[in-house]
Amino acid sequence: MASRANPIARVAGGLEVGWLLWRAQLQMFMNQTIRSRQAGRIVATIIGAAVILLAWSWEAIITWIGVQAAHRVTARIDAVHLLSLAFLGYTAVLVFSSLVFSLNALLLNPDLDLLLAAPQPVESVLAGRMVVQVLRLLLLSLLFTGPALLVLAIANHDPLILVILAALYLLYPVFVVVIISVLSLLLVRFIPAGRGREILTVFGVALALGVNLLNFLLNPALRDSGFSRRPGAPLSLPDVPAASSPWLPSGWAGRSAAAILHGDLPAAVGWASLLLGVSAVIFAVGTRLSGRLYLAGWIQAVPPRRRHLTPARTRRLKGAVPLLSPVLASILVKDWRMRTRDLAQLVRFVMPVVFLFVIFGLRFPRLLDSVRSLGEGPAEAMLALIPAWVLLFSLSISLGLTAVSLEGKSIWVYAASPNTTWRFLQGKCWSAAVPTAALVALVALIAEILIRPGWLWAATAVLLAVSLAAIVTTLMVGIGAVFARFDWTDARRMMNPLGVFIGMALFAMITGISALLLGISLALAGATGFPVFTTWLAAMTISVGGALALAALGLLIGNQRLRGLELG
Amino acid sequence: MLSTRLLTKRYGSLTAVEELDLEVSAGELFGFLGPNGAGKTTTIKMLVGLLRPTSGSASVAGIDIQAEPEKAKARIGYVPDSATLYDKLSAREFLEFSGDLYHVERRLRDRRIDALLKLFDLHERANDFLAGYSRGMRQKVSLAAALLHDPQVLFLDEPTVGLDPQSARQMKDILVDFCKEGKTVFFSTHILEIAERMCTRLAIINHGRLIAIGSLQELRHMVGQDGQSLEQIFLELTGSREEDVSAVLRGLES
Repeated sequence: MASRANPIARVAGGLEVGWLLWRAQLQMFMNQTIRSRQAGRIVATIIGAAVILLAWSWEAIITWIGVQAAHRVTARIDAVHLLSLAFLGYTAVLVFSSLVFSLNALLLNPDLDLLLAAPQPVESVLAGRMVVQVLRLLLLSLLFTGPALLVLAIANHDPLILVILAALYLLYPVFVVVIISVLSLLLVRFIPAGRGREILTVFGVALALGVNLLNFLLNPALRDSGFSRRPGAPLSLPDVPAASSPWLPSGWAGRSAAAILHGDLPAAVGWASLLLGVSAVIFAVGTRLSGRLYLAGWIQAVPPRRRHLTPARTRRLKGAVPLLSPVLASILVKDWRMRTRDLAQLVRFVMPVVFLFVIFGLRFPRLLDSVRSLGEGPAEAMLALIPAWVLLFSLSISLGLTAVSLEGKSIWVYAASPNTTWRFLQGKCWSAAVPTAALVALVALIAEILIRPGWLWAATAVLLAVSLAAIVTTLMVGIGAVFARFDWTDARRMMNPLGVFIGMALFAMITGISALLLGISLALAGATGFPVFTTWLAAMTISVGGALALAALGLLIGNQRLRGLELG
Repeated sequence: MLSTRLLTKRYGSLTAVEELDLEVSAGELFGFLGPNGAGKTTTIKMLVGLLRPTSGSASVAGIDIQAEPEKAKARIGYVPDSATLYDKLSAREFLEFSGDLYHVERRLRDRRIDALLKLFDLHERANDFLAGYSRGMRQKVSLAAALLHDPQVLFLDEPTVGLDPQSARQMKDILVDFCKEGKTVFFSTHILEIAERMCTRLAIINHGRLIAIGSLQELRHMVGQDGQSLEQIFLELTGSREEDVSAVLRGLES
């Protein structure tokens, strides 16, 4: 029946469903914020709104200054090309966000069945989802650039600047959202949607790594510190000449935006109309195609391949860890299994190491030479700890802060068991601190061996790194417990932003104070004639002791929060 | 074996459970019935220590669940209504984890796991990840985990949801055998037929208040009509009336 509906009705139905969904999302947003009747949420909403207003004011001021400067200085800028490049860059963002959105909205979100059961053609439901995504992107674009557009409109005495650019924001994402949605529906005929999310995570990491590598190899600012400097290479950023091609949507949007900024309304409307026409055709065709692909079914309709343990792995991992009680050992082993078997979780382990390689590894020969030239001593030993410290920062945040929330809705298993929350936190500390400290120790050891600051300094530096790794991760576990959410099952969303902020601030504080103490110890030895090693050890002890006290406090507060937790 | 005294749970102005007094003896298979939102799950969660009562007390196997939660929990087995398990663990690994949490000695734990996996027909898929399990299979794994440490009281929240007829029958048999050993089962259900056939005693809760308690025969006496089914008694006591439903449906037609 759905396939017989006429195309205009399907598209109109899509717009209608999209509007209904959008309205429902707005209602949910309002219910969770200002209508929540919860003081904390209302205050958070007001603070959030105030922060946005502040950012908007700042943006407006900067834009105003920019406009005034532009009036005084004549700069030769190819506005069409620049704006087209901006739209092309935006396309990359659109592609990735649409991939995630399409997988969730078209395949994974549980309300899809409810919508498909309604007397609406499948095409309209799928098109409705796309409309929601386009509206969401419009809102985000306006959120980020709205004040700038307003200032431009006021400064140029042309309110149509606001209208045309908002129209471009609305129209430009359409083709990307539709194409990606159709491709996602096609893709999940071969890859299960649930697995798709994991594949996207890996794709995201690969993309980030690729961008970093390209940046390292191509960015002139980095060439003199790397090994790929090409003599005589032009000192300009990589350009994409095709961005402003009149045959590409980025070129149309760029031309339309540039035209309205120069006051050429007919040209602006002309290029925007072209974008509108093509977007409408793509939306109509995409709606039809997505309906067909959806109805053709996807791989989840067939029984999924059973994932199981090989007998060898079953034998190897029995859940026992020497020196740990069975409860602590079982939490450690269980968390290790969960993290290493879930691709999205595994990436959390691997990503910091990969980026460490990108940041330090690629520049390593030059860095090594620079540090070695300093000779032997405590300062060199500390410099060698920098890669381990970067790794610690990343791992303590990603493993420590998420350790408690990792339980998700399965927290009832532990909560119903005859164990205290304190013991649970102990287990979580072990499960996060052991891999973090092990990896930090490994990286610190390798760096110290390569830099050779003297075996005594190297040994104390590694000891300091391992101690602080365990302590800082413990602190993060405590913070994670304070901000734990167990109703989140999605691994990517397990970090509370405020928790991350506090965790990062405390990490910076511990790092700063430790560095300061170690610096003071060296200065003190120089000034008083005390043996450097003595003042150095004293500084290390104070640093570790202080961090330990902070971690204990974090755990105590975290434990209080967990004790007060009710699983209703 | 299980008793509550004026057990109350309030969420702000909403009273989920109000002054609940219950006494359940050893060897009883106790059914806890009530319409949706009556307070069944809240009561069970208070009894297993997942929620703190606003007032009143509860003890399981003679141990106050609030005063000595760990001690009481060691004697409790709990199967929630929709058991969320660890998707990336196999059933065997999950049971091992559960056994360790309940301090079951390793060799005994492994022996019991083998027996329970066989009992629930899960042994062939014991090494499959739980992510691939159906709802009924997950329910079986939850029950196996709840039985693993040999509890004295078993709390089950809607245990038959998602089970096929054979599995539901198997679960009934297991629960009956469990009670024959002098242990107690406390379970909530919507399926009155099951409660009618299995339970030694029943309690009906509505709007957080206990409105009836006793054997089926005692409940029949309470409503004053012998020979009534549990469904009729339930509807009578909870005030759900057939004529109201018909009137609403007729209204929809016009």
